[in-house]
Amino acid sequence: MPKIDLTMDVNGRKVVKQTDPHKRLLDFLREDLNLTGTKEGCGAGECGTCSVFVDGKLVKSCLMPAAKADGAKIETIEGLARPGSLTPVQQAFHKTGASQCGYCIPGMVMAATSALRENPDAGIEEIKERLGGNICRCTGYTKIFEAVEIARDVIAGRLPETALDEDATGESFIGANVRRLDAPSKVSGRLKYAADIKMVDMLQMQVLRAPMPHARIVSIDTSEAEAMDGVACVITADDVPGTDGFGVFVHDQPVMARGKVRHFGEAVAAVAAEDLVTARRALAKIKVEYEELPGVYAPEDALKPGAPVIHDYAQDNVIKHIPIRKGDPEKGFAEADLILEDVFTTQQVEHAYLEPEAGIAYVDHDDVVTVLSPSQNITHHRHMLAEILALPINKVRFIMSAVGGGFGGKEDMIYQGMLALAAMKTHRPVQLNFTREESIVASAKRHPSKVHYKMGLKWSGEITAIEFDMLSDGGAYGMSSEGVMRKAAILSCGPYEVKNLKVDTKVVYTNNTPSGAFRTFGGMQAQFATESMMDMAAEALDMDPFELRRINMMRIGSRTHTQQELTTASLDRVLDAAEAASRWEAGAPKVRGPRRGDLGGPDTRQPCTLGARIGEPTVTPTNDERVAS
Amino acid sequence: MNRKMRGRGMASSWYGIARTATIDRAGAWAELDDGGTAKIVTGVTEIGEGILTVLAQVAAEELGVRPEDVTIGDNDTSRSPEAAHAGATRQTYMIGNSVALASRDARAKLFAEIADHWDVPVDSLRAFNGELWAQDTNLRMSMDEAVKTCKGRGVVPVGSASFTAHGTGLDPVDGSGSPWQAYVFGTQIAEVEVDTWTGEVQVLGVWAAHDVGRAINPRGVEGQIEGGVVQGLGQALMEDYQTENGYTTTHGFAKYILPTSLDIPQINCTIVEDPDPLSPLQAKGIGEPALVPTAPAIMNAIYDAIGVRIKSLPATPEKILDALRNHVPGREQIAQSARQDRAEAHRRGL
Repeated sequence: MPKIDLTMDVNGRKVVKQTDPHKRLLDFLREDLNLTGTKEGCGAGECGTCSVFVDGKLVKSCLMPAAKADGAKIETIEGLARPGSLTPVQQAFHKTGASQCGYCIPGMVMAATSALRENPDAGIEEIKERLGGNICRCTGYTKIFEAVEIARDVIAGRLPETALDEDATGESFIGANVRRLDAPSKVSGRLKYAADIKMVDMLQMQVLRAPMPHARIVSIDTSEAEAMDGVACVITADDVPGTDGFGVFVHDQPVMARGKVRHFGEAVAAVAAEDLVTARRALAKIKVEYEELPGVYAPEDALKPGAPVIHDYAQDNVIKHIPIRKGDPEKGFAEADLILEDVFTTQQVEHAYLEPEAGIAYVDHDDVVTVLSPSQNITHHRHMLAEILALPINKVRFIMSAVGGGFGGKEDMIYQGMLALAAMKTHRPVQLNFTREESIVASAKRHPSKVHYKMGLKWSGEITAIEFDMLSDGGAYGMSSEGVMRKAAILSCGPYEVKNLKVDTKVVYTNNTPSGAFRTFGGMQAQFATESMMDMAAEALDMDPFELRRINMMRIGSRTHTQQELTTASLDRVLDAAEAASRWEAGAPKVRGPRRGDLGGPDTRQPCTLGARIGEPTVTPTNDERVAS
Repeated sequence: MNRKMRGRGMASSWYGIARTATIDRAGAWAELDDGGTAKIVTGVTEIGEGILTVLAQVAAEELGVRPEDVTIGDNDTSRSPEAAHAGATRQTYMIGNSVALASRDARAKLFAEIADHWDVPVDSLRAFNGELWAQDTNLRMSMDEAVKTCKGRGVVPVGSASFTAHGTGLDPVDGSGSPWQAYVFGTQIAEVEVDTWTGEVQVLGVWAAHDVGRAINPRGVEGQIEGGVVQGLGQALMEDYQTENGYTTTHGFAKYILPTSLDIPQINCTIVEDPDPLSPLQAKGIGEPALVPTAPAIMNAIYDAIGVRIKSLPATPEKILDALRNHVPGREQIAQSARQDRAEAHRRGL
């Protein structure tokens, strides 16, 4: 392939380089110039992690061909401040805790810098609008807004520079707002995530994924791919030397599909090659013959007699059923003055951490198979990988790389096994970086759920009985399903002492994208149903929702749904605190929005009307060195 | 009905801290190092929540140094002691306590040498912020000198600890058991504006009160609450991963819609501290619990605003408009008599 010559001014230095014509500006910065502070989050201009300045304008570098930037002046996160120093925007991000995982933060700092360059007097509504092209999954944006406002005011001289300093510590570091120790590396783009790391002689991996949700693999022919120049190895399930299977509770998932595929996007084979393009081309040369199987796509269908069986060990497709029983629900319902019955459903949710899965594996000088990846549970991964590779446990090493967001989604060992196998086969370092699309189809989601709920209450508000029946779609593999069902069951009926209850949570296999761990682990699905029921009950009883909760809340000495006696309980304090902070106007939840007097207080924001918020700069764009530098 | 209708709703929640229905554990090593600095090594996994800073604060407090003097060697299965995974809202509780205990162990080694050196009782020694002193005396030295003195006597001040939280499994028949030793509680209120023409819901304010045991870094706690609320808001109103016969149809952020800066309510956090008596640090946790009450609080607020109850997440504009169209006047009276009839039927044993 012919190369192209590029000349740019990058962070104030002239760069003259030959590169491949297919490269985006993002690739050129990251791969050719090692400016890895600019991150790839989606490759489609949707998340903003790759934001840079091109001739002074904020640009998503994944959308710009490198050739188009020829002759341009480029500014990246690394160029904002001199090494060892931070701009006011970066210092403000450090101060307020605006960086959590940090992966979106270089792009966010660029967008914030752009906002203040475009309008140094931008109000909060304009700042929000100007940050609207940058997604952050960790912070809830609130500390970012605070940081940009502080930086704006310091730059404008309305606040002293000391406003950027750390809060003072009193007599203890416990309870102090110590600034995050890792923030300077995040706001400056210096922190290396797995995809930012290069090792000498490193190969690039690409994964062949199942094009259908349920199929028997008749044959896999890798010979043509293996014969290609630049291909170091092709791996399939046949390369696994030990006991193939991983999962947080049940080890039902092979490193790559073994004999059959169970969901769309499941890994079937992988290639390690000298470069990414060769690895991608080699995937097209792998020939897989599939025999499509009837699939199951709804959890109710999975339970029907004669439903297709997804895993041989679970002929009924049930991954786990957790029952909880307490008291006598029949008696409780017979004592009720009111019985409410309803159905609640929740959807599958993607973790959407901004850092797609990435990792490197190598075999070290002591023959230790080493995997570097942003995993949330390397302790357990090491145990599983040692079994899979049939190696003593001290010959398998996991190193946690900086994690660009997890939320439970990086607990599953969905790619580390492939990396290890390729490293063992080639004795070279191997890197795999997921695309966003790959991350979305291959990683676990929050369990979608359906809850049948029945609640009995007395006119006094006392809950006399609850029946709670949840069915969840576990998807193709077990992953964390068992634990999610357990937590959903334990927490099901909420923070209320219920004397009589019958709780069942059940999760089944289907051929959908697997469900797994996701922040709250079943707790939110269950309590969404309970808290909706509580308000419906409060309406039916003509009672304030706080009051109904106080009548039933767990107290010290209460017995939980699993009959554990509580020695501490703080719901009373929490209810009081929330009620006071929100200036809650008491009353039954009977569509009283139009009559409420507690709306629109100073602790709410203005509703957003798109397009109407960009103000005219009151002064000409700044040449202030501290923003410009 | 006005085009834009506002309302408020609330929801409460509870959550268990650390691994469920099992015995959780975490190990840590601590060393008071040259220059009055400290090394902590533990299998901790920073996933963005700020646990490294929390551990540095804990170690600094226990060792008498400053947080910025603490170097944390984090997760590497061949180099650091087992502290298990980043999940289950367990790291502050499990690893925080483990680091506190390991630091106390290291400090005890140092204090024993300094007490002997000064000839004072060991329990008269105190250390904070890089200084060490004997109470009711003028004896005082920097931690730098203290470490030098200790090493000059042939002792490297190192410590280690393991912390465990006991939980029991659940009975397979009735589910009874004590799955956690610590519980947290929360309550959130949401204020919404519903556009009855477009079905769009904007959340204008959230008040979030959460018990965290003890806030080690209040700003960090707020950051966890704010992030949890916004993930809860995303699930409540827009996020929806979809498949059609197993094929993903939402394969990028153009189809999988996430909250951006324009969707963010003003989030007002109230941190409640109900110390955990079983934990040396008294802290519990906040990572996951912050998300739990947000979606139901928003659904309750939508009901308050427009009288339609969304029972199927997410409450997309399409669902809101559909529900408004099917809004039956007097439905609440009909439902109420059905609920009473149902209870009556139960009592009569039907």
